[in-house]
Amino acid sequence: MDEVTVWDGLTAGLEPIIQLRSLNIGYGKSLAKDITAEIYTGDRIAIIGPSGVGKTTLLRTIAGLIAPLSGEINNNCSGRGDIGYIPQKLGLVRHSSAKSNVMLGARTRKSRFHLPFLGLGEGLNKEVDQLLQKLGISEISDEPVRILSGGQQRRVAIARALIQKPKLIVADEFLGELDADNIDSIIDILETQLSEINATLVMVEHQENIARSIATRIWRIVDNQIIEERVE
Amino acid sequence: MNKKLLLWITVTGILTILAIDDIVEDWSTIDGSFEKIYIFFTQDLFPPDWSILSSEPNIKCNSEIGFFCSQAWKGISETLQMAFIATVLGFVISLPIASLAANNLYPLPIAMAARVFLAGLRSLPSIIWALIFTIAIGFGPFPGVLAMTLYSIGYLGKLQYEAIEGIANEPLEASMAMGLTKSERFLFVVIPESSNNLISQLLFMFEYNVRHGTVLGLVGAGGIGQYIDTNLKFFVYDKAMAFLIVIFVVVVIIDILSMVIRSYVTDESDFKRPKWWTVLLPSDAAMKIHRRNLEE
Repeated sequence: MDEVTVWDGLTAGLEPIIQLRSLNIGYGKSLAKDITAEIYTGDRIAIIGPSGVGKTTLLRTIAGLIAPLSGEINNNCSGRGDIGYIPQKLGLVRHSSAKSNVMLGARTRKSRFHLPFLGLGEGLNKEVDQLLQKLGISEISDEPVRILSGGQQRRVAIARALIQKPKLIVADEFLGELDADNIDSIIDILETQLSEINATLVMVEHQENIARSIATRIWRIVDNQIIEERVE
Repeated sequence: MNKKLLLWITVTGILTILAIDDIVEDWSTIDGSFEKIYIFFTQDLFPPDWSILSSEPNIKCNSEIGFFCSQAWKGISETLQMAFIATVLGFVISLPIASLAANNLYPLPIAMAARVFLAGLRSLPSIIWALIFTIAIGFGPFPGVLAMTLYSIGYLGKLQYEAIEGIANEPLEASMAMGLTKSERFLFVVIPESSNNLISQLLFMFEYNVRHGTVLGLVGAGGIGQYIDTNLKFFVYDKAMAFLIVIFVVVVIIDILSMVIRSYVTDESDFKRPKWWTVLLPSDAAMKIHRRNLEE
């Protein structure tokens, strides 16, 4: 286990998909300062640290939802559908069916000029059905998300992100409140699918053991700084 | 009682009495008013003249059932049609404007401009719009429809943007991060998330337009109100009373129907009903059957 301020993959000849340069993040007041780091294709990064240190803020900054107070982000995944986002409360459309939610992710695979009322095509529809099957939620695909269990809702949120075939999936404590069996099963599915589409994962996780079971790199926010640890 | 509250009640009470005293210049005019009202009700309004429910030779009608050729049917069906068209048009037009007015979708300057526009439409009651359109177009139901449509846009638009602003932020954020366009976000996130409120508001607006559609006839803008106006002008109060009772019955029926429909668009009831006949069951009973089917 190596512990360094931030692992430098550039020297290893890797191409970063996101570069954070001297970032100062927060909402008006700075939560974490001078963050310089790279995210590479295929990385599994878990951001950990106590409450209130800016984990979610960093994640939202990476997802492009908030601008940093200062510093620079070189983002190679700013195109349509490049980022799949799974917020803490999952961000599902509660009154739509599980399948409609996943179709929302599939829509990003079409051009932004694709008319909303046109269907997404048989191929993409089939792909959605197959993914729902893989995630074990095909039977509830017509149910409104609102009535699904926590585990089922998480699978829908994961399916919505995966169907995009994004370069990067950003997930915020999305395994919270699940039992151990459900967590293991979701992690297994996620890892298989991430490898299949060669996507990168950056997640916030407050349970360190869960973070270690997925991550290859751990960013621990301590005293407004990121301390990186590589998990072998 | 709290002293501060007592003081507020006393001050408000005194101000109310002073305002009434200022408005009513001569209190002696009230003398005998209750008797006048009593006489008006018992001698002029009652018994209502129910001939309005029978076939009327002046009305063009192909039906063999007399009621469908009556003044009451012609009037109320015209009012219902006017209210229906105005509500549908108002809803379709107000929805995109409401999306511009919602400050969780568009920046404040755009939202403010859309809000001012909606407030402008709302600031004139539909009867004033009807007056303007009867001057511009002439008498009949068409100016009434235009008047109700404009008012519906202003009124529904406000209710809609408030409903849109009330939706959870996370689905919107997730769709923004995903790279969905504004129109996709509106169609696939905002509308489904606020659908229950939007349907409920639509039903409320229809009810409102039926009630107000009856008043528009007073300025010549069609509907059952026009019959009431004519009868009042010629002092045929018993017929006017019959029309008022018809309106009351129709409003009560619409109210009950709308209450039933609204009960299907609450959070507890917007799931796929397991069998067609379960639409007749209360939502929790239907949900139990639905869950049982899922478990099986």
